[in-house]
Amino acid sequence: MKTKKIATRTLAYLALLVVFLIIIYPVVWMIAGSLKTEQEFYQNVWGLPSQFQWDNYSRAWNHAKLGQKYVNSLLVTGGFLCILLPVVCCAAYAIARVQFKGKNWVFRYLLMGVMIPGGVLAIPSFALAVKLSLVDTRTGLTLFCVAHSIAFGVFLMRSFFISLPKSLEEAAMIDGCTRFGSFLRVILPLSVPGLMTQVIYSGLNVWNNYLMANLLIRSPEKQTLPLGLAIFTAENNVKYPVLFAALVCVTVPMLLVYIAGQKTFIAGMTAGAVKG
Amino acid sequence: MDHLKNAKLKSRMFPYLMCAPALVIFTVFVLFPFLYGIYISMHNWNGLSAMTWNGLKNYLYVLTDSVFWLSMKHTFIYAILVTILKNVAGLLLALLVSKEFRGRTAFRVAVYMPVTFSYVVIGVLWSWIYNPTFGILNNFLDTVGAGFLIQGWLSDPNVALYSIIFVDVWKWCGFHMILYLAGLQSIPRDLYEAADIDGASRMQKFLRITLPQLNSTLVINVLMSITGAFIANYDVVNIMTGGGPFNSTEVALTYTMRTALSLNNMGKACAMSVLLFLFVLVFGFIQMRAMSRDENYAD
Repeated sequence: MKTKKIATRTLAYLALLVVFLIIIYPVVWMIAGSLKTEQEFYQNVWGLPSQFQWDNYSRAWNHAKLGQKYVNSLLVTGGFLCILLPVVCCAAYAIARVQFKGKNWVFRYLLMGVMIPGGVLAIPSFALAVKLSLVDTRTGLTLFCVAHSIAFGVFLMRSFFISLPKSLEEAAMIDGCTRFGSFLRVILPLSVPGLMTQVIYSGLNVWNNYLMANLLIRSPEKQTLPLGLAIFTAENNVKYPVLFAALVCVTVPMLLVYIAGQKTFIAGMTAGAVKG
Repeated sequence: MDHLKNAKLKSRMFPYLMCAPALVIFTVFVLFPFLYGIYISMHNWNGLSAMTWNGLKNYLYVLTDSVFWLSMKHTFIYAILVTILKNVAGLLLALLVSKEFRGRTAFRVAVYMPVTFSYVVIGVLWSWIYNPTFGILNNFLDTVGAGFLIQGWLSDPNVALYSIIFVDVWKWCGFHMILYLAGLQSIPRDLYEAADIDGASRMQKFLRITLPQLNSTLVINVLMSITGAFIANYDVVNIMTGGGPFNSTEVALTYTMRTALSLNNMGKACAMSVLLFLFVLVFGFIQMRAMSRDENYAD
């Protein structure tokens, strides 16, 4: 009995170890590769670099103009969140808490967005962007990203607002707060976990967005990070260690943000998705 | 009197004003393009010159185009396999991780890591891992003496699609693990204790307690993976193979984009988008229904 238990235990550990390696090794390998010389990259496929080639990083940074691309990604993602959060929270609050005519229709209308995936909208969105002269503008990319995130955002925030006790706002309103005032001062501060989920989930999607960015952005100085990387792959004689250095430059900051906020991140992702 | 009337009007207008920005943005940038796409799909248009009406001809072209059907077949294979594998892997990992052990947090952090990567990074990284001569996969197989498994992971038309599917599962299994884990932890302990008293076996406990209790978690996980699986494969496929070799990894969206951007046939591309929308509508509708039901999410 006991040996059987130990055997299953070992087997479970072994399975976890294999998964761990499959997931972590490509990442370690990417970092190791970014520090090799080109020759070593092809010859010493597995191991660590014999000598760290730090200038791969400066070459990658300058060649792909990653600084500029970082600024663009920050502008688009930042602008996206600045528009999305107020828009989504206001609508979700009204739908969650205020009785009004056509409420269910408004909610259903917005939820239709879940049924119309962004990929299906890509080509006509491009045609619309041409008409509104939003092609090759970061504003255009931001607006389309906001629109694609509204359905899920309203859904998420609505279910979050519903879960908060009503008595809180009622107390605030008796004390002379307006409806909007109680929303701002009582409900929103309590909704930080829900807002975090929204920021992380939608923010990450936009930060990593490739499809819409690739369609809309034309000039190199307006490209976001994923587009900047894709440039490398289109070139003929790619210097792989330099490309890998660029990959690390793009990945590691997000990784650090994730590891730092790991608890909130995971709590946020699971909130609302699981019946409590 | 006037003041009171004003206040009443204000409170009546309040919810509509709150919803207005969301409704306007959604209508202009989602619903309008959607309807515009249907309109374009009935025209002959290269994206620049004037559109000319051609009725349902684009649909006829699409439905008689063998590459379109091939890409639809790949889209379905991709979506079904990815959904099953992500969920099976996620649930298995969650079950393994649900007990305390040394290094559990490190494991959870590590497995979740690829979720934060963009498909561009992942695509480039894995194209190189799959590289037939210099990639670590073939190197590894050679080293452990499984040389007979060596192949061109992305250049063999019979294998390429599955290689990409693996990458997608690799990226997302940690995400599903975390969701399942939260579901597992919300199952009341006393259910298992009662089952232990009745002398239930491990398998019985899993089938009779764990799975039924995980029901709503399961629904959400499957829905989250399935709608994305039909549509969200553009990035990874485009970066890794661009639809090749010989269309063997062409999915509906890469073919649509190619038709629009390289062949400049906007009308046909929009017709394909509309058809793809109709194909995934069923799943989207189920997801919308599940999302507008409250009992799944209450408190």
